[in-house]
Amino acid sequence: MNIIGTTINHHTASIEQREALHLSKNEITGFIDILRREYLSDGFVISTCNRTEIFGLPMDNDLNVAKLQDALLEFKQVDGLSNKNFLNFFSCGAIKHIFSVTSGIDSLILGDSQIHGQMKEAFQLSVDMNFAGTVMRRIFDTAVKVGKRSISETGIGEGAVSVSYAAIQVVEKIFSSFENRSAIVIGAGETGELAAMHLKDKGIGKITISNRTLSKAEELARKVHGEIIHFDDLKDYLHNFDIIVSATAAPGYILGYDDIKTVVKRRRGNTICLMDLALPRDIDPAVAKLDGVFYNDIDSLGSIIDQNIKRREKEIPAVEGIILDEMQNLFAWYNTLEVIPTIKKIRDFFEDIRQEEIEKIRYKVHEEDLKKLDEMTKRLVGRLLHNPTIRLRNVAESGLNYQEVANYTSVITSLFEPQNENEPVKKS
Amino acid sequence: MLETIRILNTTLPALYLAIFAVYLIDFFKDKPALHNIKRIFLFVTLIIHTAYLLFWTIHFDHPPITTKFEIFTVLAFSVAFSYFLIELSSDIRATGAFIILFSLIFQAISSLFIEDLIDVPEVLRNRLLGLHVISALLGYAGITISAVYSMLFTIQYKRIKLNQFGLVFNRLPSLEMLEKLSVNSIIVGFALLTIAIVIGTVWLPQAFPDFSLLDPKLLTTGAVWLIYGSGLAVRFTSGLYGKKFMTFSVIGFVAAIVALAASGIMGSSFHQFNK
Repeated sequence: MNIIGTTINHHTASIEQREALHLSKNEITGFIDILRREYLSDGFVISTCNRTEIFGLPMDNDLNVAKLQDALLEFKQVDGLSNKNFLNFFSCGAIKHIFSVTSGIDSLILGDSQIHGQMKEAFQLSVDMNFAGTVMRRIFDTAVKVGKRSISETGIGEGAVSVSYAAIQVVEKIFSSFENRSAIVIGAGETGELAAMHLKDKGIGKITISNRTLSKAEELARKVHGEIIHFDDLKDYLHNFDIIVSATAAPGYILGYDDIKTVVKRRRGNTICLMDLALPRDIDPAVAKLDGVFYNDIDSLGSIIDQNIKRREKEIPAVEGIILDEMQNLFAWYNTLEVIPTIKKIRDFFEDIRQEEIEKIRYKVHEEDLKKLDEMTKRLVGRLLHNPTIRLRNVAESGLNYQEVANYTSVITSLFEPQNENEPVKKS
Repeated sequence: MLETIRILNTTLPALYLAIFAVYLIDFFKDKPALHNIKRIFLFVTLIIHTAYLLFWTIHFDHPPITTKFEIFTVLAFSVAFSYFLIELSSDIRATGAFIILFSLIFQAISSLFIEDLIDVPEVLRNRLLGLHVISALLGYAGITISAVYSMLFTIQYKRIKLNQFGLVFNRLPSLEMLEKLSVNSIIVGFALLTIAIVIGTVWLPQAFPDFSLLDPKLLTTGAVWLIYGSGLAVRFTSGLYGKKFMTFSVIGFVAAIVALAASGIMGSSFHQFNK
């Protein structure tokens, strides 16, 4: 398969360099027009915060991948990057890389499920722009299948790998369900928002947002269908919440030991979870000593993330097994495409001979006998070609051994290809 | 039939040991293949145990509740059966090893020391005795299971408090669920103990001429009943929740065991059935 590709990603470039080459959807559309015009007959382009990749089937078999990189650098008008910041892929390697990306094992956060959706979007854009023929579409379908199988058949996506989700994982070990629980998220920044979204996804009974800037609290509260509490009134209402998630940018503690001790008293000993996702911390860690208080900060939650990453790493061989499995299926299908013209050639060759022979006796036998002979020779040719055809297909479908398929087709072509009778026989 | 009873008597501890092993392996390995197998295995063992109890009752013409070692096999069955119902209703499957361990111990003691007993006093064939003993045993099974869940609560509580997010943290259910299972077991256990005491109070003076309210077994059972009763009363009136109630449950269980052992050591009770 003559697929080529190039990528700049978290393995090869800094975040600033990746940001500089990031393509918006409109930019991808424009860039695909250039690729289609000058370099590739089919392909796709994906651009996320961690990678920008170009893959496709070249118009010219001698196309140097560096030209794709130069085209991208020129398109984005970026200086300071060179071909050294790119990784290049060809044929099997290219397919393996596409599948690895889709399965999440090439992601910065191992097993990240977001990339699966991003790849699907990139594939769809390519299809919408008529930049994907039969082979490319088959690659897309198989890549999506690899992503789905990786999630459903392995543990590559299991366990929390973000601080906010790890916090939810701990809370799940304290309360059996979130439905009858109330939570407050202090701080409406990125981490606070993520935690609020996770709580909402878990079906929290009641969610409240508090933030120094009221408008931000209101905005997040709208997103999670929650309520708001003014930051200055926070301490008066804290005892109403079973879960307190704090993720502000405050320079010091916003909740001290005595504040939480008062909350515990007012809750009459009912359990309370404090998840301090801020750096520097928002809550005095001494509160962990209080009975019925569960306190976690970024460090303690980090150990959960480390464990989950290790568990995901153990799943890599299983995902690679799926990738290999699907690569075999894809190449089997692709090799079949290669042998179909050869099979047709043999069949045409035999059919031509058969018809020639029938023509020779057309006026020497009765019409009825001619019909019988015609049918009989058709059956004969069919039976003679049945085994070679099946064998050739089997070789093609057996896997990745493209060379074996090429050898078979080459031998058959040279044996059966009709030649001009005047043409001298070539000697090897 | 006696041969079958003997075979089952030898087989049952082996079966409980196997179930314990399967639950323990599943606790550590979390193999999806074992999730249903262990439940089916427990169900089959319970059926075999039921058959053993029936065969015993038919062959010896009395239910196996007249000696300590007969009672141990019923206790083993009660604990395993109660756990089976809990697992079915809560779908909490990771705690089985800790509870089945008690069934294994009780059944092993019974199988080792149980004796064929055909001649039992007429008083011990009374139906009220059956109800009295069965409800008492199920009551003790309830508080045993409650104590196990309370201990698991305490372990999980410490794991979360100390940020030790390892295997135990991952495999044990939430604190709220463990507390719920423990409290429900105590409630059921306490209710059944109450029934046993009520039946005993009505039946014992009629059955035993030397009945005395100062009998050690009555006093210790009363003490156990009072401990759990007061604990439940405090929980529902003043709010004894979480770690405090779980500690109470464990202490209550230890007190019950000590009390029962003490009453056994004190001896000389009318309440000893066959010695």
